[in-house]
Amino acid sequence: MAKIAYYPGCALNERSSHLDRSARDATVKLGFELDELDTWTCCGAVPPVSEERVMNLVAPSRILKDVRDSGRDILITICDFCYNTLKRTNFSIKSDEIIRKRVNAFLADDTPERDYLEKDDSPWEDYAGEVKVIHLMEYLRDELGYDKITESLKRSLKGLKIAPYYGCVMLRPQNEIQLDDPENPAIIEDFITALDAQPVKYPYRTECCGSYLSVSSPDASTRLCYRILTSARNNGADAIVVSCPLCFYNLDSRQKAISEAYPDFTPLPIFYFTQLLSVALGVEFGRQGFEKHYVDVTPVLDKIASSTGKGDSE
Amino acid sequence: MSEKTGLAPSKSPPIRLTRETVNAGFKKRVDALSGQHTDACYQCGNCSSGCPLAQEMDILPNRILRLAQLGQSDDIINSCSIWICASCFQCTVRCPKGIDIQAVMDALRQIAMDEGIDHFGPDQISPELAASVPQPGLVGVYRKLAT
Repeated sequence: MAKIAYYPGCALNERSSHLDRSARDATVKLGFELDELDTWTCCGAVPPVSEERVMNLVAPSRILKDVRDSGRDILITICDFCYNTLKRTNFSIKSDEIIRKRVNAFLADDTPERDYLEKDDSPWEDYAGEVKVIHLMEYLRDELGYDKITESLKRSLKGLKIAPYYGCVMLRPQNEIQLDDPENPAIIEDFITALDAQPVKYPYRTECCGSYLSVSSPDASTRLCYRILTSARNNGADAIVVSCPLCFYNLDSRQKAISEAYPDFTPLPIFYFTQLLSVALGVEFGRQGFEKHYVDVTPVLDKIASSTGKGDSE
Repeated sequence: MSEKTGLAPSKSPPIRLTRETVNAGFKKRVDALSGQHTDACYQCGNCSSGCPLAQEMDILPNRILRLAQLGQSDDIINSCSIWICASCFQCTVRCPKGIDIQAVMDALRQIAMDEGIDHFGPDQISPELAASVPQPGLVGVYRKLAT
C-alpha cells in the first residue's frame, strides 16, 4: 500500500482526533496510507505576513525540510490552518530569496542539536521549497481521482443534501494557495457529488465563521455562524461538511450559544468530509467519533442507514 | 464598537489633518511592514462590503486604509476594527487594486502591539473555552492579538 507523508498537526492529534481517525480509515479503504512524520512540531497556525517576522517561518520550514530530507516530495495535511501555513511558507521560501536565506540560516543553527533524530550524517543542504504541500481533498481530486471514490462506495448517501463549507484559509489568498477559485470553488461540491449525495447551493459557503475570534470575540462568531447555518438550512441542507477543526468547532459547538441567542434557530449537524467519506466507504458509524459532536447527527445517519438498508451492521 | 450591534456608524468622527501627522511616517511604516502600497486604495469600498465582520467594526476597512494614507495612527490603533478582523482574506481576494488588505491589518496590529496595546491576554480566556477550542484557534488568537 502506498504510503504518503502526512502532517496531522496539533488539533488532529488531540481535540479533533475524530478527523484524524476517519481520514486514516478512509484512505486505507481507498488504497493508500497516511504515513505520519516521525517528528513534527506545531506549524504556527497562522503565517506571518510582515517581513520582520521571518522567525515565525522557521517551525513550518523545519517540518518541510524534514520531509525533503526523508526523500519524499509530497506532504498531505488536512487541517486548513496547517495547509495554509505550510503552503504559504513554502511559497515564501520559493519566491523570496532573502526569506529563503534567512530561514535556512536559522535551520542551519539547529543541526548540532538534532541528535534526537539519531542519524543525521547527511550533508547540509538548503531547503528551497521542494516539497509539495497538498490538502487531503486535493489529493483525492487530483492524484486519486473522485471516480475512484465513487467506484468504492459501500453505503449510499443518495438523497442526502449536504452544504459544503469552505471557510477562509482553505482557498485564500488564492495566488499562493491555488486550490480552487476563491469566489466560486467546486472542490467540495464535486466531492459531495462523488459520494452520491447532493451538494446544496447557498451564498455563505466561503464566508468566514469567525475563526479564532471564537476565543476573543465569541459573540461576533456566534452571529457569523448563525448566518451561515440558517442560510444552509433555508436552502435545504440536511448537514454541513467542513474540513477545518476550527470551522467545525465554531459551526458545531457554537450552536449552543446560537440557540440561546436566536429562539427560531434549528440545529444543523456538522460533519468532517473524512467522516462522510469513511461512512460511505463502509467504515462503522461507531469509529467516527460522533460522540464528540455537540449537534446530534443521528437524523442524517438514519437516512444513510435506511437508504442503504444495512446501517451499522457491517 | 457601535452602540447598536450589527451596524457600523454611518460616518467616522471628524479628523484634523496637519502636515506633521500626515508626514510623520506612519504610512511608510505600514507599507514597509505589510509590503503593500496603501496609496493604491481609491476608496471603492469593496473590502468593506465583502467583510463578514464589517458590522462589528467601528471603522470600516476602506476607512482604515484612508486613515492610514493620511497618517492618522491614533484613530487606527485605538479602533476595535483591527482586533475584530479575523484575517479571512475576503478583502484581499476582492480588492480591485490588488492590495493585500489583510496584510495591512496585520501590520496595523503589529504597530499597535509595538505601542503597548494588547487586545487579548491569557487571563481573558475562560478555562472551559481553553479546554475545548481546537489548538489552531488558541495559537491563532495569541499570535494575532497579543504580543
